[in-house]
Amino acid sequence: MNKTLIHADAIGRSYAQGEAQVAAIVSATFLLKEQDRIAIIGRSGSGKSTLMHLMAGLDVPTSGTLMWPELGAPDTLLPEQIALVFQAPSLLEPLTVSENVALPLLLANFTGDIAAAVRAALATFHLQELAHKLPEELSGGQMQRVAMARAIVGNPRVILADEPTGQLDQPTGHALLDALLVHLAGTSTALVISTHDPLVAKRMNTIWQMDQGVLKTNVTSIEAV
Amino acid sequence: MIKIWFAGLMRERNGRLLGAAVGIAVTIAMLAALGAFLAQSNASMTQRAVAGVPVDWQVQLVPGTARGLVSDAIKKATAIATVQSVGYADVDGFEAHTGGTVQTTGKGKVVGFDATYLHDFPKQFRLLIGSMDGVLVAQQTAANLHVTVGDSVTILRPALPPVIVKVGGVIDLPNADSMFQAIGVPAGAAPQAPPDNVLLLPLSEWQSLFDPQAVVRPDSVRLQLHVGLIHTHLPHDPLAAFVAVHGAEKNLEIRIAGKGLVADNLAARLDAVRSDALYARVLFLFLGAPGALLAIFLTVAVVASGGTRRRRDQALLRIRGASRRQILQIAAVEAMFVGLSGAVGGLVLAEILSRTLLGVSVFAPAAFYSTIAAVSMGILLAQAAILVTAWRDAQQTTVAAARMTGRDKRYGLWLRTGLDFILIGLAAVIFWKTWSTGYQVVLAPEGTPASSVDYVAFLAPVLMWMGIGLLTTRLCLVGFQRGKRFLALGLQPIAGTLSGVVSAAISRQSNRMTQGIGLVALAFAFATSTAIFNTNYHAQTRVDAELTNGADVTVTGTALAPASAKLKELKALPGVLAAEPMQHRLAYVGTDLQDLYGIDAARVGEATRMSNAYFANGNAAKTLALLQQTPDGILISEETVNEFQLQPGDLINLRLQNSNDHQYYVVPFHFIGIVREFPTAPRDSFLVANARYIGQMTGTNASEIILLKTSAPPAQVANAARVIAETLPGAKVTDIGEAQRLIGSSLTAVDLDGLTRLELGLSILMVASATGLILALGLADRRRTFAILSALGAKPRQLGAFLWSEAALLFLVGSVIGILTGFLLAWMLVKLLTGAFDPPPDHLLVPWVYIGLLVMVALISVALAVMGSLRETRIPAVQRMREL
Ligand SMILES: Nc1ncnc2c1ncn2[C@@H]1O[C@H](COP(=O)(O)OP(=O)(O)OP(=O)(O)O)[C@@H](O)[C@H]1O
Ligand SMILES: [Mg+2]
Repeated sequence: MNKTLIHADAIGRSYAQGEAQVAAIVSATFLLKEQDRIAIIGRSGSGKSTLMHLMAGLDVPTSGTLMWPELGAPDTLLPEQIALVFQAPSLLEPLTVSENVALPLLLANFTGDIAAAVRAALATFHLQELAHKLPEELSGGQMQRVAMARAIVGNPRVILADEPTGQLDQPTGHALLDALLVHLAGTSTALVISTHDPLVAKRMNTIWQMDQGVLKTNVTSIEAV
Repeated sequence: MIKIWFAGLMRERNGRLLGAAVGIAVTIAMLAALGAFLAQSNASMTQRAVAGVPVDWQVQLVPGTARGLVSDAIKKATAIATVQSVGYADVDGFEAHTGGTVQTTGKGKVVGFDATYLHDFPKQFRLLIGSMDGVLVAQQTAANLHVTVGDSVTILRPALPPVIVKVGGVIDLPNADSMFQAIGVPAGAAPQAPPDNVLLLPLSEWQSLFDPQAVVRPDSVRLQLHVGLIHTHLPHDPLAAFVAVHGAEKNLEIRIAGKGLVADNLAARLDAVRSDALYARVLFLFLGAPGALLAIFLTVAVVASGGTRRRRDQALLRIRGASRRQILQIAAVEAMFVGLSGAVGGLVLAEILSRTLLGVSVFAPAAFYSTIAAVSMGILLAQAAILVTAWRDAQQTTVAAARMTGRDKRYGLWLRTGLDFILIGLAAVIFWKTWSTGYQVVLAPEGTPASSVDYVAFLAPVLMWMGIGLLTTRLCLVGFQRGKRFLALGLQPIAGTLSGVVSAAISRQSNRMTQGIGLVALAFAFATSTAIFNTNYHAQTRVDAELTNGADVTVTGTALAPASAKLKELKALPGVLAAEPMQHRLAYVGTDLQDLYGIDAARVGEATRMSNAYFANGNAAKTLALLQQTPDGILISEETVNEFQLQPGDLINLRLQNSNDHQYYVVPFHFIGIVREFPTAPRDSFLVANARYIGQMTGTNASEIILLKTSAPPAQVANAARVIAETLPGAKVTDIGEAQRLIGSSLTAVDLDGLTRLELGLSILMVASATGLILALGLADRRRTFAILSALGAKPRQLGAFLWSEAALLFLVGSVIGILTGFLLAWMLVKLLTGAFDPPPDHLLVPWVYIGLLVMVALISVALAVMGSLRETRIPAVQRMREL
């Protein structure tokens, strides 16, 4: 039986904009379980990123209840339990690729062999050659792969990837996804990916759709959208 | 477009604009305040010099020339306030019959002056006893003749029968040197000693006695015109004032060629002050310039900060079709705005600072040019800083480049050529050369309008400053590159497990860090060197004043009424720690009359400071002990020693006046050492011996001077002492404070009190802003790092590790290098100015309290900057992510 990692009940997130309230998320109700493979699709501005930030505990819902029954308190989720891959480029410029990848382990006070863990994570995405390069020496695609390696290095129980293939051409994007899925095969880690690419969405078991702040978890197929 | 952009700029970047404007304002305020101070102190130097001259010009008429002719010429040459005729006649001597004995003097002078003379030139005579109208006798002559008010004196005229006059008063001639100077001898010729015997008569009486003498002995009688100029039109600057007065005098010389000769006392005095003015200018340069430079660097740092963001803005503008020209136009508007608001703020700040601390106004007429210069500098600086930065950015701006931040791998040419070592080596060589040859920094040859500052000597500290700056940069760059592991180890206590990453991040941003460390070091160096220099300077003015005044309070009596008569009362005054009598007699060394000081070598140091520099062997204790062991020992000034080719142990015969019969008798002394300076002693020739021996040999133990060391404020003790000294005719009481204000002939005359306060205040401010600002400014470029780290799950404490590490490095390295450099520079400056310090300091004084305060302020400022930055971390990470 897969355990429930995240439980959301009618959560909403709205921002005060002057006098008015702007709702980024009107309502979202869902369960995220171990081994889940979920794609979140939806128009630009529909609230995908906001939802992921809420799931990572980085942001707090303004209504509803959000719980992490297996993972602990919201402010302890990152970086041990949950890894977040950003939509925007997110490597630290002064650090090399391997130093960037090691960051979550260092932040978590990891006591094992950090170098070995970093090597393994880099190998997963065929990045060994780039270990000592600086971000400015990488292509956009390589940067995304490094960000992905950084997400898996600590073996988190949930990986949230916000449009990880957004800046890549399709074949490259799919290769990245392949590598990630192979790496996760047989683990209990749950994977959530937001994407505009139907082919990427199809590779997932489940598709959720954000529609003007409302999350629909009962989407049967990508063609239906 | 520009309007829209500017409005946006005002809204979103007002922090940066404000920062730049504040930087400009501080720079302007610093320059303007210093400039106003310099101008003002120059003006007061001129004023003081002018006020100190008893008679501006002395014009000696060639016998037979009509007075009116010459005085008309004088009126044409310059604007004058007053002209007085003064007669000088040489006589064979004076004679007096008192107490059954006959006293006869050697050659003397009889001076005739009008009753209104004293009104026009009040500083020429000082009445000791009797009244001013009638026949006056100089104090020394009265002593020689043993006459006082009411006694008769016979004037022995050459080739004419003697005449008898009745003494109406005894006076002191404080300006005998200039009053009796030889007019028309070339400058640089041996100065003529004033006559030993002087008698003064009302002009009409003088004329009736000496007009006949002028007929038989025309060379023995002279008429002079004493001229007072109008001083209100003189330029403020001593140099300019000298040139003006000197020029007018030259003009007069041509007008009266063949009819008269001119002694330009005013120009001579201004001449002496010129070198002080030049010293003041040098001080301004070397204390003010680094501060201004630092303020400029800080401003540039503010402007250049947030470069990443600005480059991105520019890239966006370019994408939207703005041309490079338009971008630069925008920058120019921005610069104008910053420059003008900085100028207004700077002037206000400068006025407040200089009014409260310096007691001068930047809007004073004397400060006109310096204020204008400071403001234009500030505005130019704003233009340069902002435009250059924008232009450089525009050169690099492509959309791709806009994304790049962080590293810069270029190495300067200077690094490869070792410019830093070359500069330091040059500095050392120049310093060693100037120091070892005992040179003069300021040269203002007497009598000529030419004057110069040996700026080359000052290249030493300047080159050293630059050299150390570059060397620091080199060490930092190399250190960051090679010493990453070492750095990580060092940062372990602050950054913990993150130390490796933190040190990697720091060392890959070595340019930014090096710049920061450089600025912090510069600020510390400026503050430390200024503080040390000012402390020593201040101590020096005290030493100088004490040397001039003698002690905290000095009571100076006369031979007739010695101050030692009141020793007990003076000693008993509240606030007096020690009271020491000191004899002040006159002694003939050959034909030369010199001041002789009789002291108790064992105790004189209790009442006044005995500096090592007073003695040629550089050891006060040893010299005084030797004097004490040698009852007939004598210390002689270098000039006299050279003139008579004396060797230690030599016997030297002086002639001292005996108190019983007022005749001079030979007294033998043994020469034991060379004395350079002594409290109250004149600068040139004087003697120091044991008071007991002098007392035995002259028949009186009386001491003319009492030196008082006080625990209460000197001025207060001086007032009490004045009451006691009232019963001593002709006695004077002076305190060190007066002397400090009055000294007009050395560098230490420049009152640096306010300036010190201003500089110390400003340098603390700059240390605070250098440390705080550098950290706070880096923040804009660190936002992204923070956002990413916190989104990766970094806790505030871990974000702090990055900041605290950077701050610790900046503070530690910067302050250590800066303080050490400051010590070195101050030491060099004091050594270079040794010639100006009179006497030079025995050792460098260090204001530890101020330096401690400096470190504290820097620490607080660092802590505030870091904590302020850490407040940023409380902004939810999501919010920050959106800003990426
Ligand atoms: N801090 C904020 N203040 C105000 N509105 C916000 C804020 N953050 C997000 N929003 C709004 O919330 C909505 C959802 O934004 P979100 O970034 O989640 O969309 P998205 O689905 O990820 O879009 P995209 O596919 O373009 O990444 C948008 O309309 C956005 O403008
Ligand atoms: Mg998004």
